[in-house]
Amino acid sequence: MSENTNFLEVKDLVVEYTADGEIVHAVNGISLSLKKGETLGLVGETGAGKTTIAKAILKILPDPPAKIRQGEIILDGVDLLKAPEKDMLKIRGAKIAMIFQDPMTALNPLMTVGDQIMEVVQLHNNFTKQEALEHTFQMLEMVGIPRVRSVEFPHQFSGGMKQRVVIAMALACNPELLLADEPTTALDVTIQAQVLEMINELKVKLNSSMILITHDLGVVAQTCDKVAVIYAGEIMESGSKEDLFLNPSHPYTLGLFGSLPKMDDDSKRLTPIRGMPLDPTLDRHGCPFADRCSQATKACHHGVMPNVEVSKDHFVRCIKFAKEAN
Amino acid sequence: MALIEVEHLKKYFNVASGTNHAVDDITMKIEKGRTMGVVGESGCGKSTLGRTIIRLQDPTDGVIRLNGEDITNVSGRKLREVRERMSIIFQDPYSSLNPRMTVEQTIREPLMESRRYNRKEVEEKARELMDLVGIEKRLRLAYPHELDGGRRQRVGIARAIALQPDFIMCDEPVSALDVSIQAQVLNLLMDLQQDFGLAYMFVTHDLSVVRHIADDISVMYLGQLVETAPAKELFKQPLHPYTKALLSAIPSIDISKPMQRVQLKGEITSAINPKPGCRFAPRCPYATEACSQPQTLTEVAPNHFVSCCNIQKI
Repeated sequence: MSENTNFLEVKDLVVEYTADGEIVHAVNGISLSLKKGETLGLVGETGAGKTTIAKAILKILPDPPAKIRQGEIILDGVDLLKAPEKDMLKIRGAKIAMIFQDPMTALNPLMTVGDQIMEVVQLHNNFTKQEALEHTFQMLEMVGIPRVRSVEFPHQFSGGMKQRVVIAMALACNPELLLADEPTTALDVTIQAQVLEMINELKVKLNSSMILITHDLGVVAQTCDKVAVIYAGEIMESGSKEDLFLNPSHPYTLGLFGSLPKMDDDSKRLTPIRGMPLDPTLDRHGCPFADRCSQATKACHHGVMPNVEVSKDHFVRCIKFAKEAN
Repeated sequence: MALIEVEHLKKYFNVASGTNHAVDDITMKIEKGRTMGVVGESGCGKSTLGRTIIRLQDPTDGVIRLNGEDITNVSGRKLREVRERMSIIFQDPYSSLNPRMTVEQTIREPLMESRRYNRKEVEEKARELMDLVGIEKRLRLAYPHELDGGRRQRVGIARAIALQPDFIMCDEPVSALDVSIQAQVLNLLMDLQQDFGLAYMFVTHDLSVVRHIADDISVMYLGQLVETAPAKELFKQPLHPYTKALLSAIPSIDISKPMQRVQLKGEITSAINPKPGCRFAPRCPYATEACSQPQTLTEVAPNHFVSCCNIQKI
C-alpha cells in the first residue's frame, strides 16, 4: 500500500437510535479518512456522536436500538459494514482495537489483569501458552507495569494504572487502527500527560493509525495530525491541526475556542456559545448549529449546508464560506 | 479580618488500613468578595477541606473562623445559622438534586427552611432567584431529569445563593459540563460574585478554569498545602516542584508550544498513615535527605507561600 492511499475511509455514515418510539439522529452523513500512521482527533461535546462513530467502525453498536442507515466503512480495501460477523471477530482486537473511556468499568473485575491481556493474545495468535504469557509480560512492561503484578486484580490498581492495562490490552496484537475514546478523561493531569506520551510513543513504534476522541482541545493540539469538529452528528470543520488551531473558521469551532478559559489571557469574561445543544430527535433542516450561531441568516435554516474547501484539505460546512468562495 | 480563617485544620478518617490524613494541618484565609481556588489531583483532600470548612464534616483538629467568630464546634441552632451564611454548589448536578422535586420546590426549600419568609415572600423570592440564575419561567414545574446539565447546575446555584450567604464552597461546579455550557456557568458565578460580594472557595482539578476565576490559588498534595499564591503569580512563577509538574502537564491549545513536561516518577500514593516529611518527595525530581523532615509553609514573596526545603536550590 502506498503512503498516500487512505487506510481507513468512512463515507457518508448515518446512524440512528430508536428510543421510546422516537428516532435519535446520532450520526448524520459523516465522512472521514485516515492514512497509515496518522492521528485524527474527533472533537465535540457530549452527544455529538463521537463514540457512536467509533463503535460503528468496530461494528459493536447494539442493534436495536442502533441502526446503521447508510454509508461505507472501508478499512484497507474491505467494507466492514458488508463483512460477515466471523470476519469481524478476527478484525476486532487484532486489526482494530479500542481504548475505552472508563478504565474502571472496561476491565473484568473477576479476572487478573494478566489473564485479561492473555485472552486477547491467545485469541488472535497461534501462540503456545508459554509464548502468550511471555507476550503478556512484555505488553505490561511496555506500559510500565512490572510483570509480577500480572496476577493482581483490577481493584488493586490505581486509575492511571488501570488505564495503562486497558492500553496494553488494546495494543497487544499490534493493531493497525487504534480507536481511543477519551482515553485520559478519567485521569488526573499529571497521569494524563504520562498516558498520552505513552500512547504516542507506542503508536509511532507500531506505525498504527489512531482516531482520538476527546472534548479537550488541548489534548488534540498536543497529539493529533488532523482534526474533525463534530456537532450534532455532523462534521462542521475538518483539516490539519494547523488549519484548525491557527485558522479556525466555522462559527461553532470559534465558539468552542471562545468558551475555553485561556491560560495566557486575563479577560475576565468568557464568550460562551449561547443556547443549548440541538435536540437530536428533531428532524433536520439546514445547519444544526443555526439556532445558536450569532451569524446565522434565514438561509442557514433550510437546505443542505455546503462543505466548502477554504484551503487545501481544510473543509468548513457553512453557507457563509460558500458565498465568499463565489 | 478575613471572612474565613482556617488554622491548622485537620480531618482524619479511620479506614481499614489505618488513618487517612485527608486534610493535614492546613492554614488559609479567604477574604470577602474574593475567590480562593484549591487545586490538586483526585484524592488530595481538596473537597474534604471545603466540606470541613462549611461544617458538613466535623474537623479532627484546628480552628475555623467565620468573620472572626470561632465556628469549629458550634452545634444546634447556632450551626443552622452558620450554615445559612455558608453554602455549597456540588460537582454533579445529576445526583445533587432531588429527582422527585420540581425546580420551584427545590429552590423554595432553603427559603422555607430558614423560616425568614412567609409563603408569599417565598414564592416571590424563588421567582427572583430563577431569573437571577437564568432559568426560564416555563421550567418552574420541571423535574431534574427534564433538564440538561447546565440548567441543573443553575438550579443548584439558585439554591446555594437563596439565603444570601457570604461564602460559597464550589466543589468542581463545572467539571461535569461541556465547554460551551461551562463558560456560561462560570460567567454566572462571576456575575453573582460581583453583585453580592460573595467569597468563593473554588475546588477543581481544571487548572485553566481556576486560572480564570480565582484571585488566589492553593495547591494541595495528599492532604497538605504545598504552595499558595495570587493566581497570576502562581502561573507565572510556580515554585514548588509539584506545582511546576502540575502546570507543565496541562496540554496547551497553542500548537506552537509543545509540552515541556516535568517528568514525575510513579503515581500519587495515598495519605493513609503517611511518613513525616514532604509527601511529594517520592515522586520529586529534586528530592534530598532533608525532605524526610517535616516541611513548613514559608513566605517567599508577598502572599506567596511554599512548603519546600529545597526551594533555594531549585
